[in-house]
Formats: sequence, structure tokens, C-alpha cells
Amino acid sequence: MIFRRSLTQLGGRVMAMARDVGGVFVLTMEVLRALIPPRLDGRETVRNLYKMGNRSVPIVVLTALFVGGLMVIQFAAFVKQFGARALVGWGTGYAVFREVGPILIGLMFSGRVGANNTAELATMTVTEQVDGLQALAIDPIRYLVVPRVVAMMIMLVALTVIGDAVALIGTMIMSYVVLDIHPYTVWYSLVDNLGPSDFLHGISKSLVFGAAIALSSCYFGLTVRGGAVGVGRAVNAAVVGAAVSICFLDFLMTYLTA
Amino acid sequence: MTARDGQAAVELEGVGKAFGGRRVLAGVSLTVPPGGRLGIIGPAAGGKSVLLKLIAGLQRPDAGAIRVLGHDLVAAREPELAALRKRIGMLFQNYALFDFLSVADNVAFPLLHAGVAADEIDARVAARLRAVGLAGSESKMPAELSGGMKKRVGIARATVARAELVLYDEPTAGLDPVTTSKIYDLLRADQAETGSTAVVVSSDVAAVAAFADTIAMLHDGRIRWVGAAAGLFDADDLVVRSFARGEERDGAAVLSRSVEAARPAPGAWP
Ligand SMILES: Nc1ncnc2c1ncn2[C@@H]1O[C@H](COP(=O)(O)OP(=O)(O)O)[C@@H](O)[C@H]1O
Ligand SMILES: [Mg+2]
Repeated sequence: MIFRRSLTQLGGRVMAMARDVGGVFVLTMEVLRALIPPRLDGRETVRNLYKMGNRSVPIVVLTALFVGGLMVIQFAAFVKQFGARALVGWGTGYAVFREVGPILIGLMFSGRVGANNTAELATMTVTEQVDGLQALAIDPIRYLVVPRVVAMMIMLVALTVIGDAVALIGTMIMSYVVLDIHPYTVWYSLVDNLGPSDFLHGISKSLVFGAAIALSSCYFGLTVRGGAVGVGRAVNAAVVGAAVSICFLDFLMTYLTA
Repeated sequence: MTARDGQAAVELEGVGKAFGGRRVLAGVSLTVPPGGRLGIIGPAAGGKSVLLKLIAGLQRPDAGAIRVLGHDLVAAREPELAALRKRIGMLFQNYALFDFLSVADNVAFPLLHAGVAADEIDARVAARLRAVGLAGSESKMPAELSGGMKKRVGIARATVARAELVLYDEPTAGLDPVTTSKIYDLLRADQAETGSTAVVVSSDVAAVAAFADTIAMLHDGRIRWVGAAAGLFDADDLVVRSFARGEERDGAAVLSRSVEAARPAPGAWP
């Protein structure tokens, strides 16, 4: 009895998930169609870029600084034991550029900007502003979704570049403080051992994560049900959806390029 | 640019609409001639707003036919609907003001996206805001406005592009009697100027009956009564008459039904 009920529940969840995945896919197609021919509401895009940047740059800088330093602390015992002082720059850089940077900044961006975007679109939906746009013959996909997707992709890449640089600074500071390694040593260890491909590997991840976060947050925002209460539920679903997508896509991209 | 003579501006036939198995409209038929003023009354949660959204092409009916300004809304595809919507103005019950835009930008919005020249936009927005008594509030944001002010911004936005058909959802809900009569004066003046067709949904029966030439009462998902506005308060139909007069004795049946209808279905919108 209980078994059957939980099976039914499980079935319901799977159905709901399939519906959401399908919905995000349909939205993706609509966004792509709206971009052919490439027409973009410049004002909306710039407005979103500005707002998102304002909101997320400080927090990314702060986190990246700590993460860069933290890598050194984790590395310190190993460095001391084997005297691998020349590897600090390479090791931290490799991990940060290719993996830690994109995924950490992506998750933070989703919590900060994606969640906010979902709340904004969900509120617009429940207060009939989306209907209002449509009543004025304006396509909500073109006017609301496309600029947000474009802005989030650009902004997440920019944040990753900033985050990478700041993390490097954090690494240099902590290497000097904890291991007494000169920043130059860290820098040359990095540039001698890492190529542009390591950097671009991370950047391409950010581009994909940015799209995933944007599509998830727009989808759950526009499909909100149940008034103000629904807005909270939508934000929740969007953040979870984005986190799962990021981890899945990261795995996929790492696996395919390994 | 109004619909051709002899052709109705709005024509509904047997329109049905349900949400999640709950029937809201069950065969609504209505006709509004070009230049007409139709008032729609009826109990709360009776589907009046849904009816307006169907006419605006924002939702699709489950059954029946809708013709608006010569277009078949059931068969129309999105580009045709978008072109048609440019000829329709709509005031939403909850204003639907864009909360990231100032009052002036909200009113300018329809013109901006219709490619009107900038100086003409400024002039028309200023004139519209003056007409609704909001001159001086141009740079305020919607969050700073009272309900009545939002309503008037909504009216300004719905009429600024001189639409051929204007749909008003509760234009005077929550407004005092003086403002109410001012709003209806404004609607009347607009209509005289542009020759547009107006459909007004309102719970303020007396005020809408004074404005409209025809009144239709939506009840149990159908048009229960339709006739000249002047005859509403003496309608033969007891349910209609008592609803219009707000009489509780005869209106008990109406009241209980409307309370029933007002109770939202599980998962339904408020
Ligand atoms: N988009 C929607 N989804 C689900 N239910 C809806 C939707 N729009 C309206 N309803 C339901 O339809 C009924 C009629 O709503 P409405 O047209 O707003 O009534 P009113 O006559 O007060 O304007 C209500 O019970 C409402 O809950
Ligand atoms: Mg309503």
C-alpha cells in the first residue's frame, strides 16, 4: 500500500521533471528561433548586464580571493613534503581555470542573479505584466528572455575571467604568506605550464553554464503557478534546476574533452 | 480604420473556456457593433476577466468562435494575432504596469514599439497623462503610486495608441465616486474622438450602466441577459434585476452562487 503510493509519487515526480526538461528545451528552441535573424533588444540587454554585473562582481571577487588562497593551504603540506614549490602556480591555476572557477562562480551566479531573475519574471507573470506585453503585441521571448539569456552568458564569462584573475592574486598572496614563495615564481609556474586551452576550457564551460542558468531561471519564472506563493516555489525550482544542469553539463564537457 | 459597416467589432459565439477541468465560460455569445459601448457585469470570479483576455487574443477558447475587428481569433496564428493586438488597447484588472519603467515610459511603451517619432511620443504621453490627471507624476515608478493612480496610468497606456477597440477590466474598482465619474467622462471623450469600440467589465453596475449603451450580464458561464443599459434595472429577469440593484432579498441566489464561484479551485489563481 505504502509501496504503491510512493511509487505513484515517484511517477508523478518523474513526470513533472520530464515536463520541466521538455519545457526548458522548448524555450531553448524559441530563443534560438528569436535569434534568427539576430535581433536583440539592446536597451533590455544593457539594462540586464548592468544590473547583473552590479549585483555579482563584488561577491565573485571576494569568493575568488578566498578560493585562490584556500588552494594554497590545501597544497601547502604537499609542497613542504616534496619541495614542489615550482608547482604551486600550475596546480592551483589548473584547478581554478578548468574546474573550480567556472563551477563555483556558476553556482554563485545562479544563486544571486538567476534566482533574482526568476523572481522578477515570476512576479511579472503573476501581476499580468507578461500578458500586458503580449497585449501590446510584444513577444515576451524576444523582449524578456533573449536579452536575459545573452546578458547572463556574457556576464558569467566576464565574471569567470575576473574570478580567475582574482583567484590568482589570492594564490600569490597566500603562497607568499604560508610558503614564502615569491609571486613571480607562482606566475611563471602558471604561464610555463598552462596554455590558452586550459583557460578556454573553463571559459567555454562558463558560456554553457550561463545559458543553462538563464534558460532554467526564465523557464521557471514564466511558468509560475499560484500567485505570490508560487514565486518562491519557482525561485527554488530554478536554483535547483540550474545546479543540477551545471553539474551535469560540467561532467559532460569534461568527459568529452578529456 | 474601424471595422467595415455591417461587420461587428467583436463577435463571440458559443465560447467556452475551462481551467484544469473547471468550466469558467460555458457558451458565451455576444456581439458589439463598431463604435459600440458594451458593459459586462456579473458576480466575482464569474469569468469576466477571462472573457476580455479571450477577446484580446491573450488566451484561446476551448470551444466556440471569436471574431475581432474582422479576424478569426481561433484560426489566427501568432503573427496575425500580434498585428491585431496593435489595434486593441487593454486595461488589465491589476493594471499590469511594467514595474521597471516610470509612469511616462509605461505610457510611451506602446508608441515606442510602434515606431512613433520621439517628439510625437513625448507630446502624446504628456497629453494622455494630463487627461487622466497625472501630469507631474511622469518620473514616478509604479511602486510609488496608489491603486487609483495605477489604474489611470493603465488607462492612459491602453488609449495612447488610439486603438480601434479598447477593453477595460474594472476601470474604476476601488475609486471614489468623483474619480469614477471622471474616468467614465474620459472614456466617453476618448471614444467620441477616435470612434473606437469599448468593452468595459465593471462591478460598479450603476456607473457602467450610465456609460455603456448595452449591458450584458455574465452568470454561470453564460450571458444571462443582454439589453439596453437603460433597461437593466427594470429587467424582467429577477436574478439580473436584483444583481443590478444590489438587492439582497431577491439576490440571495445570485449571491450564494457567486460566493461558490469565488472560492478558488485547488491550485487555481487567486
Ligand atoms: N490563467 C488561469 N489559470 C487558472 N484559472 C484561472 C486563470 N484565469 C482565471 N482563472 C479562474 O477563472 C475564474 C474566473 O476568473 P476571472 O475571469 O478573473 O473572474 P472575474 O469575473 O472576477 O473577472 C476564477 O475562478 C479564476 O480562478
Ligand atoms: Mg476580473
